[in-house]
Amino acid sequence: MALKRTALLGGAMAALVGLAGCGGGTGSSSSGGNGGNGGKQVSSIKLVAAEYSADHTKAFWDQFAKTYKQKYGIDLNVQIISWDDIAQQSTTMVQNNNAPDILNINYYSSYAKDNLLYSADDVLPSSVQSDLLDSFKISGTFNDKLYGFPDLSSARALFYNKTLFQRAGISAPPTNWNDFEADAKKITALGGGVVGYAEPLGPEEAQAEFSIWTFNNGGTWQDDSGHWTINSDRNVQTLQFLKKLAVTDKVTQNNPGKTNRTDGAFPLFENNKAGMIVGFGPLSAQLDKDKKVNYGIAPMPYQNVSGPQTYGVTDYLDAFKKPGNQQAVKDFYELYYQPDQVNTWIKSEGFLPVTKSGLQVFSSDAALKVYIDTLPNIHLTPNQDPTWDKVLLAVQQQIGAAVAPNGDPKKVLDTLQQTAQAGG
Amino acid sequence: MPANAPRRKPGRRGRLPFWTALLWLSPALVLIAGVVAYPVVELVKASLGTYSITGLRTGSAGLGNFAKVLHHPDLGTVLRNTAEWVVLVVAITIVLSLGLAQFLSKQFFGRRVVRWAIIVPWAASLVITARLFTLLFDFYHGLIDRVLVALHVLPHPVDFLGDDHWTMPSMIVVGVFVSLPFTCYVLLAGLAAIPDDVYEAARIDGARPWQLYRQVTLPLLRPALLVASVLNIIYVFNSFPIVYTLNDRNPGFRHDTSITFMYKLAFKSAEHSVGMSAAAGVFNVLGILVVVLAYLKLVSWREAVR
Repeated sequence: MALKRTALLGGAMAALVGLAGCGGGTGSSSSGGNGGNGGKQVSSIKLVAAEYSADHTKAFWDQFAKTYKQKYGIDLNVQIISWDDIAQQSTTMVQNNNAPDILNINYYSSYAKDNLLYSADDVLPSSVQSDLLDSFKISGTFNDKLYGFPDLSSARALFYNKTLFQRAGISAPPTNWNDFEADAKKITALGGGVVGYAEPLGPEEAQAEFSIWTFNNGGTWQDDSGHWTINSDRNVQTLQFLKKLAVTDKVTQNNPGKTNRTDGAFPLFENNKAGMIVGFGPLSAQLDKDKKVNYGIAPMPYQNVSGPQTYGVTDYLDAFKKPGNQQAVKDFYELYYQPDQVNTWIKSEGFLPVTKSGLQVFSSDAALKVYIDTLPNIHLTPNQDPTWDKVLLAVQQQIGAAVAPNGDPKKVLDTLQQTAQAGG
Repeated sequence: MPANAPRRKPGRRGRLPFWTALLWLSPALVLIAGVVAYPVVELVKASLGTYSITGLRTGSAGLGNFAKVLHHPDLGTVLRNTAEWVVLVVAITIVLSLGLAQFLSKQFFGRRVVRWAIIVPWAASLVITARLFTLLFDFYHGLIDRVLVALHVLPHPVDFLGDDHWTMPSMIVVGVFVSLPFTCYVLLAGLAAIPDDVYEAARIDGARPWQLYRQVTLPLLRPALLVASVLNIIYVFNSFPIVYTLNDRNPGFRHDTSITFMYKLAFKSAEHSVGMSAAAGVFNVLGILVVVLAYLKLVSWREAVR
């Protein structure tokens, strides 16, 4: 029965080729124009933005687009994409020669390296340039020009469960690593499935967990002149400490190298099952909403440095060069960095400011004091190096293996160092 | 025939003029060109290019992407996982479905409800099902550990998705769970198509139940089994959501199949290379094609579908 045969084969072919479509996407030759003022001015621009929260992100940008239209007469088309998908979708957009005018994402220097972005000289009002906090300016500067315009920031600190601390007879949060380890042991000894410290080194955000610990041990990703220092002694010591907590002391949750932050570590702390965790604003918001945990926020315990160090994260509003969009993009930034716009948004999302003027507004908020005090000296990852965009992925996919029982911190960091030195 | 086509000249019976035929075929041809041919062309084009991490094409790579995929240190692990995943999920699914279909083909009280219940996993989105299972498998809050420990099946809780020994078996359980409905219904249809008189004849000849099943049911079920296994091989091979979702906490490629490997190459791993991922995609298509053809040859499918 030739017909049946063909039909079966045809069906099989169609089913498996369907996969081909998902695989590669398409390959356009180049993306983005040379931008500039020449030619016709655009009547609309497109913003692709990451979703920080379902409640506030879309609401803010919709309202922003309305104001923008009123003020400049240009349409702002807003597309909100979840953090899980935005890197993939923006890659595909550039690949298909269909980049947005403005992209809100957590990296910029690879785009700048590919010559796709406007620099601050082209589109950022000078009043804004001088208002940005220095640490963000440094992390936003590629090849001596500012390309990474920060939209907001967050800083991490040590969250501790006051109830568990009291039950374990600990009076104050630890300030150095020895006390931290001792306290974690005491809390774990309470039993009942309680762990001393929730340590998320899974792929979701392993770089954050490692960064904050190693910054508080005098470690770095790069030295001041931009050379990679991933396998430095301090970094190896840090990762060995994190492995010791998990494997020798057994004061962390099960398999920390395979625990993600949001669906693994946070739920433990939110259910009174973890004594300590590294947290940030949105975690406080969740805890305050649930009212289940009596918690405190303290600076990180530290050693080998003069005081507690803070790890910070900032995301960027990348400005893509496209024909005729320069003025419209410039208008966008002028409006975005108006205090009533940027500060309102940052407040609603529970994050921290990126400008000096914003810092003044937020410093009156007692709940944010622990972060705000450290913001001017915040440590960021080396976002200004395009290689970091790849090293980051390598860190996420590899560092967790170091804290497994058979893990080798030194070897993992050596491999990462080689990856970085080879250019990612 | 001629009566239905009065305008056609005699002597060209049964054959439409070329252009007329093309006109009638054009919707299907456009669909095939758009859905099958175009993506394949683009996939191959992408596999031959060098891409920046941003997705920008920076030049031609020749066959470099293919070489890089073949030399990837984790390729062996990924291929082994893929084979394990496809073979075990399909085999277990078919065996369980044979039993289930047999059961559902009998008349009993509440059959309709049971039949509906079996469709449910099919109707639910794979991502949602997979997410649900990550909660069920969870080491700290998961129901599965709690039940198994309470029943003394396990002496202590197991980290189903974090323990390297358990990750693949856990994924296979979910893979079987979502493959059952489709397979079960294909086999159920196959069973319904077997005429009663064949059984009657066999019974008159003195066949016992087991003989009846082995020598009547199974051979007559062969076309349905073939369709079920070929389509399952393709679906399971291409299954992305389960492997990706259940494995998203694990670093590296230790439990990835070739589909999630391809995705991670493009967007999640340090390679972050659209070109390499497309090359892996080309290998995937060729690989499944070879597997399916080999399987069809093995079971001498021409006879089976006769």
